[in-house]
Parts: sequence; C-alpha cells; structure tokens
Amino acid sequence: MDKSNQQLGAATLKVVTYRTGRFLYFLLGMSFMLIIWHVASLSTDGELPGPIQTFSVFYDLVSHPFYDNGPNDKGIGNQLLSSLERVTKGFIIGSVIAIPLGLIMGSSTLGMNLLNPMVQVLRPVSPLAWFPIGLVAFQSAQTSTVFVIIITSLWPTLINTAFGVSTIPQDHKNVAKAFGFSTFKYITKVLLPFTLPHIITGLRLSVGIAWMVIVAAEMLSGGVGIGFFVWDSWNALSLEKVFSAILIIGLVGFVLDKTFKSLQTRYSYDS
Amino acid sequence: MIANTNILSEDKVKESILLRPVSIEVKDVTVSFPTPKGEYIAVKNIDLEIRKGEIISLIGHSGCGKSTLMSTISGMVKPSKGEVIVNGKKVTGAGPDRGIVFQNYSLLPWLTVYENIYEAVDSCIKGISTDEKHAIVEENLAMVNLTPHQDKLPKQLSGGMKQRVAIARAFAINPSVLLLDEPFGALDALTKGSMHVELLKLWNLDNRNKTIIMVTHDIEEAIFLSDRIVVLNNGPAATIKEIEIVGLPRPRNKKDIVNLPEYKSIRERLLNLLVEKFSIEDDGVKFEE
Ligand SMILES: Nc1ncnc2c1ncn2[C@@H]1O[C@H](COP(=O)(O)OP(=O)(O)O)[C@@H](O)[C@H]1O
Ligand SMILES: [Mg+2]
Repeated sequence: MDKSNQQLGAATLKVVTYRTGRFLYFLLGMSFMLIIWHVASLSTDGELPGPIQTFSVFYDLVSHPFYDNGPNDKGIGNQLLSSLERVTKGFIIGSVIAIPLGLIMGSSTLGMNLLNPMVQVLRPVSPLAWFPIGLVAFQSAQTSTVFVIIITSLWPTLINTAFGVSTIPQDHKNVAKAFGFSTFKYITKVLLPFTLPHIITGLRLSVGIAWMVIVAAEMLSGGVGIGFFVWDSWNALSLEKVFSAILIIGLVGFVLDKTFKSLQTRYSYDS
Repeated sequence: MIANTNILSEDKVKESILLRPVSIEVKDVTVSFPTPKGEYIAVKNIDLEIRKGEIISLIGHSGCGKSTLMSTISGMVKPSKGEVIVNGKKVTGAGPDRGIVFQNYSLLPWLTVYENIYEAVDSCIKGISTDEKHAIVEENLAMVNLTPHQDKLPKQLSGGMKQRVAIARAFAINPSVLLLDEPFGALDALTKGSMHVELLKLWNLDNRNKTIIMVTHDIEEAIFLSDRIVVLNNGPAATIKEIEIVGLPRPRNKKDIVNLPEYKSIRERLLNLLVEKFSIEDDGVKFEE
C-alpha cells in the first residue's frame, strides 16, 4: 500500500517535473522572442511598436472586448466572434460537401476519374480568387467571404477522405465479403471507422487554412471581423493593434488546431 | 489401446467416404493473378472432390497456393479456369454457408472481440432475435476461452488469442463448410492441442456433418485431424502431388495413435513428399515453412 503510493507519488512527480520543464522552455523561448522584438522596435526608433506598447494596447482591447460604437468601431471580441461565425459556417458547409464527395471519389474508379482532374486543377488556386465570383453570385460581401471559406475547406477534406477510402486494406474488405456484410454494415463497421481518422486529418487541415484565409478575405470584404480589424488598424496607423490582432489570431488558430488534434487522437486506432 | 485390427484398409475408407454426399467439388481449377510481369499462375488443374463431413488438410510449401485454393473455394477469388461447386451450387462469391478463418486473422481493429463475432453473426444468421444472436456469440466466446477478454480490442490480444477470435467467428455463423487457413499456426503447443480437441468436439456435436478444409504446416496435426491430406506441388502453377488417406479410426486419441504402424507410415510418406532430401531419422521433426 505504502509502496504503491510512493510509486504513484514518484510517477506524479515525474509528470509534474516534465510539465514544469516544458513550461520553462516555453518561457525561455518567449522571453527570447520578446527581447528580439524589443531590440527591433528600438532600432526603428519606436516606429515599430515594442512589446510593452503592444501589451498595453492589447490589455485595453481584451478588457473591453464587446463594446459596440457603430459599424466601424466594435470590440475585439465582436470582431473575433463574427470571423469565427463565418469560418464555422463555411467550414461546416464545405465539409458537408467534401466528405460525401471524398467518399464517392475514394470508393469508385468512376468517381475518381470524374472528380480528380477537377480537384487537381482547382486545388492550387488561392481561395481568394473566388471572392469576386461570390460577389457576383451572392451580391453580398459577407456571404462571399463565407463562400471563400467553403471553397477553402473543400480540398484537404476531400482529398484526405478519398485517400482514406481508397486505402481500406483488402483484409478488411475480405471480412465484409466473407461474412456477408450488408452495404449499410460495410459503411458503418468498415468504411467509416477506417476512414474517420483520415477525414479528421482533412478537417484539421481545412480549419487551419480556413482560419488563415478568413483574415485575408475580410480585408477584402470589410465590415466586421478580425481580418477587417487588422486592415482598419493599419489604416488608423495603430501597429500596436495589428500586433495584438496577430497574437489573438495566432492563439485562436492554436486552440482550433488543438481541438482537432485531440479529435484525431480520440478517433485513431492502431491495428 | 486401440487394436490394430480396427484400422481400416484404404479401400474400406474410400468406400465409407463415397457413401456420403458430395460437399465440395473443385473441377479443373486454375487460378492466375495479373502482375506487372504478366500473368502469374498460382495453382493449375486442381481436381478435388470432398464429401460431406470430411476433414481435409492442405499441405505444401509456403507460397505454393494453399491460401489461393482456399480463397477460390470460399468465393473470394475467381478461378480463371474451371469451377467450384459447394452444396450443389456453383460458387460465384462468398456466402454464409462457408465460414472462413483467414491466415492473418483479419479482425476489424476498431471492434472489440465480442463485436467482431457479433457483426458476423448479425450478418449471416437471419430470422433470429437479437438475444439469440448474443447467446450465440457468448457460447462461441466461451468455447475458445475468451469470455474474460471479450471487451478487448484486437491490438490488446496476443497472436494466439486473435486466432481464437477468428475461429470463434467462423464457428459462430454455423456454416456447413469450414475453411481454416493455418488456424492453429500461432498457438502454443498446449493451446493447439486443446483447440484440436475442441474442433473435433464441435464436428462430432454436429454429427460430423460439417466439412472442414484446413491448411497446415504441421504433419502431426494433419494426421490427427484429417480424413485425407492433400499435398500440393511447389508453385508456380502448383498441382496436386498426392492425396494421402488417413485410415485411423475415430475417435482418435493423440497418445495412442502415434504408436500405430499406420500412423508412422503415413507420417513417413508425408515427410518424403515434403522434404526432398530426408535422411536423418528424427522423431521430433516437423515440417515447417
Ligand atoms: N492477389 C494476388 N496477386 C498476385 N499474386 C498473388 C495474389 N495472391 C497470391 N499470389 C501469389 O500466389 C502464390 C500463392 O500464394 P498463397 O496461396 O498465398 O500461398 P500459400 O498460402 O500456399 O503460402 C504466391 O506466389 C503469391 O505471391
Ligand atoms: Mg497461405
């Protein structure tokens, strides 16, 4: 009893020291970056704001995140939420299109032959190029932004899903054949469980790129949103705000990625 | 002790086999696979007639086409020439009348031991309640002593345990033909021995109505279990080299049969067929890959 407690204690201690170690490295790296930033700021005579000015602005921004003084002056929280809303909409619609298409592409040669050339040609195009098309089609800059995100979210999910389906091992297919699985059982017990980790990988890549693209798309669209906020701050010559926005965009992107990474771990299996 | 007089002459065995209805007919089957270097002929001109309730072993060197032949009977592989007839019907695909134990177990890695068996039962056995399906799964799990491990995933099992799950899965769908591709290969000697007994018990329970084809590398195992042993030539284009009839009376007892002259002579003949330059008399010798 005592002994096992001691062992448990030792194990916990190990985990704690490991975490503390990681945290110390993080602090070290951060301080290093802040010093470089500070020096860069000094060498431009303060033209480029340093960490101290930036953090005071950052603090102001995040301490009143949800104020609303008309269409051109909203809190950073409002900006962030409206960007997240567009990304969520575009990402969901894009995924709802991409996953079934990917399943079709991966499971049939006909589907692959029909879709693959189109995917290969459209995938390398910057999603922003679709913005004008969206403007014409939807007559609204906001909808057009969502449209750009839909296009963005298509490719990685589509390609990873198709890859997943097309690499289902013959062994698994043989089991389904030998034991007479119905199509429904094949899809739910073989195809989806095998493909799910690939789909999630696709979704993770998609959401990452979507979060990058939203900033640029909102610079084009104007209105409310974190990308517009960056552009607006630049016009108001407040680089402190630009830096603050960069920090916030980075943190949100980090959280999004972590979320999908944990999904990936949750739904992966090793054979 | 079994008296020597009980040993059936080859003719008598043949006679008694011929009284039973035909279960599987392999008619002039040739199987070839397309490869980048052209057609690869795995097995050629295979003719085999198996009667209902027979236990047949397939023996041959690694890569000679044993699994290919099994897949052709199961309907997973189409012959490029000839046909296979099971229970009077031409084989065109897999069917629940044939239960398969794959050489590499082929369990679905995201399903537990229990679920792996349940999904097969659920697909293959129609017209019974969910409760009855669960009862079948439990019974077969108990048969292979895996009840305590029923909620584990395949990755948490040893090779032998996976093999037992695959065996339970094939048995659970109660097929009239069992196709076992090296079913006991990954088992330790003790477990193997008890699985042999279990297999024969199941076969007896069903009034010896199930036809069993088994691939093995183990000559003793083949003799102990089989009515006939089919020895294949080396590939490519492997043909049947010899069919040995095992005339040992049933029920067989492992300890007793090894002393019978009939046993020794079959073993000798098989060794000669399989080991090219067999010279040293060694009682422990086994045919390995
Ligand atoms: N799907 C396939 N495509 C091409 N060649 C195959 C295929 N399946 C089996 N073979 C070849 O056929 C031969 C017999 O294989 P197999 O039946 O697995 O042998 P065994 O089970 O006797 O060890 C081998 O040379 C193997 O490479
Ligand atoms: Mg094989």
